[in-house]
Amino acid sequence: MDNAFRKIDIDAYDEDVLQEEELFDADPRDPAQVLDDAKQRQGAVRSALARSDVVGALNTVLENAPYGPNVEEAKAVTLQTLLTILNTTKSTEIPAVIKALSQDGQDTLMKYLYKGMAMPGWGDISGSVLLGWHEKLTEVAGTGCIVRTMTDRRTV
Amino acid sequence: MAPEVFNLAQTPITCHSFSADHKQVAVSLNSTDAQIFTRQGASWTLTETLAEHDKLITSIDWAPNSNRIVTASQDRNAYVWQQTPDPETGKLIWKPTLVLLRINRAATHVRWSPKEDKFAVASGARAIAICSFDPENNWWVSKLLKKPIRSTVLSVDWHPNNVLLAAGSADMKARVFSAYIKEVDDKPAATVWGSKLPFNTICGEYASPAGGWVHAVGFSPSGDALAFASHDSSISIVYPGGPTIYNIRISSLPFVTLTWTAEDTIVAAGHDCQPVVFSGSEAGWQGVGSLDDSTSGKAAGGARSGFGGASSVGRLNSAAFSTFRDADTRGQSGAGATTDTKVLTVHQNTITSVRPYEYRGGRVTKVSTSGVDGNLVIWDADDVSAGAGLAKQMGGMRM
Amino acid sequence: MSNVLRPYLAAVRSTLTAALTLENFSSQVVERHNKPEVEAAGSKEVLLNPLTISRNENERVLIEPSVNSIRLSIKIKQADEIERILCHKFTRFMMQRAESFIVLRRKPVPGYDISFLITNTHSETMLKHKIVDFIIQFMEEVDREISEMKLSLNARARIVAESYLTAFNS
Repeated sequence: MDNAFRKIDIDAYDEDVLQEEELFDADPRDPAQVLDDAKQRQGAVRSALARSDVVGALNTVLENAPYGPNVEEAKAVTLQTLLTILNTTKSTEIPAVIKALSQDGQDTLMKYLYKGMAMPGWGDISGSVLLGWHEKLTEVAGTGCIVRTMTDRRTV
Repeated sequence: MAPEVFNLAQTPITCHSFSADHKQVAVSLNSTDAQIFTRQGASWTLTETLAEHDKLITSIDWAPNSNRIVTASQDRNAYVWQQTPDPETGKLIWKPTLVLLRINRAATHVRWSPKEDKFAVASGARAIAICSFDPENNWWVSKLLKKPIRSTVLSVDWHPNNVLLAAGSADMKARVFSAYIKEVDDKPAATVWGSKLPFNTICGEYASPAGGWVHAVGFSPSGDALAFASHDSSISIVYPGGPTIYNIRISSLPFVTLTWTAEDTIVAAGHDCQPVVFSGSEAGWQGVGSLDDSTSGKAAGGARSGFGGASSVGRLNSAAFSTFRDADTRGQSGAGATTDTKVLTVHQNTITSVRPYEYRGGRVTKVSTSGVDGNLVIWDADDVSAGAGLAKQMGGMRM
Repeated sequence: MSNVLRPYLAAVRSTLTAALTLENFSSQVVERHNKPEVEAAGSKEVLLNPLTISRNENERVLIEPSVNSIRLSIKIKQADEIERILCHKFTRFMMQRAESFIVLRRKPVPGYDISFLITNTHSETMLKHKIVDFIIQFMEEVDREISEMKLSLNARARIVAESYLTAFNS
């Protein structure tokens, strides 16, 4: 007997049902433009790192980070750029760098740390580097920062 | 002055509400009954049990002037309890009246309006029931605020003009509605929230930038500002003129309840187990400190204790482990390990509700809190101890 | 060992503490029901972003928070075939007795070896920081347990082989 109908989620057809995209305000920027931005920033970050200006480099990456659907490529580029910063910073400098970031910057950095940890083995992700940053960031920004990573639907 | 701490039970207190004279308190001890405790010197004794609900009671509100209690429960019902003399013995007993809520999910929060002629029941049915008394039929009837709520309403709060209602819901929005009922209300004067206010007008819809369910809402004493606490560990204060929204992010766990103590101060509490004070005005807001000064002395280097403190993050040698290791290697038992089972704050677990307790000169001078640890605490609202580094972390952000 | 593991466990501890902000929440899909939203997944808005903490591909923790419950899944390090078998037997043994562990789930989430389900009732009846301690301690001990079992298994195999082979020696 066919009982596939039992598996239909009828609640999804309720007219009041809350859709995934209604949970946050979509990024107003065009996906192609976001990708261009991300690539341009890669260059800016490299030159900032050459001047060993880690805070400046981090701010460049974390400001207006791409979020939402349809910008997977831009997100990957941004993550790649961020990883180069994270991997090259000396562990003794991390606390000072984090303290220099704005609250927005700290929240976005936390999102990227979790994103990086969710895909181990991708690119040059190193678990111990991310965990080191995570520990320092939690010390500065507290558990509130982690809670915001959980609640914020503007995923990076 | 040290806070007064009363342990009412070992079970969580889901909500509490004092009578007008503060001699009695109605609480729900995470059960289907509402219980009334009466103060006897330094302790509270159980004097009445209001049993009518058949699921967990989520909220209780005791109207100070008309001396009526309203209870809301997850069984989709609300009851209004009124003291009436028993026809046989003449003793005063609490008599329940069922309210026709017309909702089909749990009732989550209930509040009397300032004039006590109506009350609002928040519910999981994506609606708020505004209930008013119908003298002809001698029952409470309700009208539903539905649009545009998309999820469970977690809290409500009345504007002092008896017409506007703020609601915070799990769809990450705090909204201001008009709950004007023709039969009950006089035509309201224009406020900063709007001038023409038929039922279900939406006067404002606000959200925190990082999202999160809105756990608590509150109008300022004048009604010209709205504060809401959301699950992204932030508290927002809205001035509708601009609209100007101040969003203060905190470094510890989210708040679930808040109350205004004056036009320029708010007390908020929640998963961090301590009431935190915020102060400011239309020009800006910031965190001032905690009412719980037992923590500030012990917190190390700007980090805060409680559950969320960074100081405990790296601690791996858990107490249970060391207890057994001590017992195994040294034959020690008990004694040393008990210290770790206590949290440094007065409340040992999440604070579920904070309410104004005592007014003096237009300000709230004392607030009461109840928590999951079964404690009821009365705090001096002006006794703020600035935790080291706390204010720095919580500078207001203007949007 | 503890020093290498420390940042990993610290990250799990802080994330778990942040996730354990639960409240009683009645289902908004089914009337008069109250179920762990992370399992029922009936309404999207009460689920939060799941977070992963990893040391490498083989050691990671997934934390899925929601309004009234969280699910925590652990992937335990398995270097070789013996560890894989031992880990499977060990977790199976515990999950068959899940009710004695209160917060243990009877079945792991796909891709992980063992899962815990913590609801608001647990965080009300038990001290929250003790639940966190329990999970952290479990993670600390499980690696050691498995490597100890592996050592004793090898030792046993050696003894068996030796006493078997001495029969041919004479």
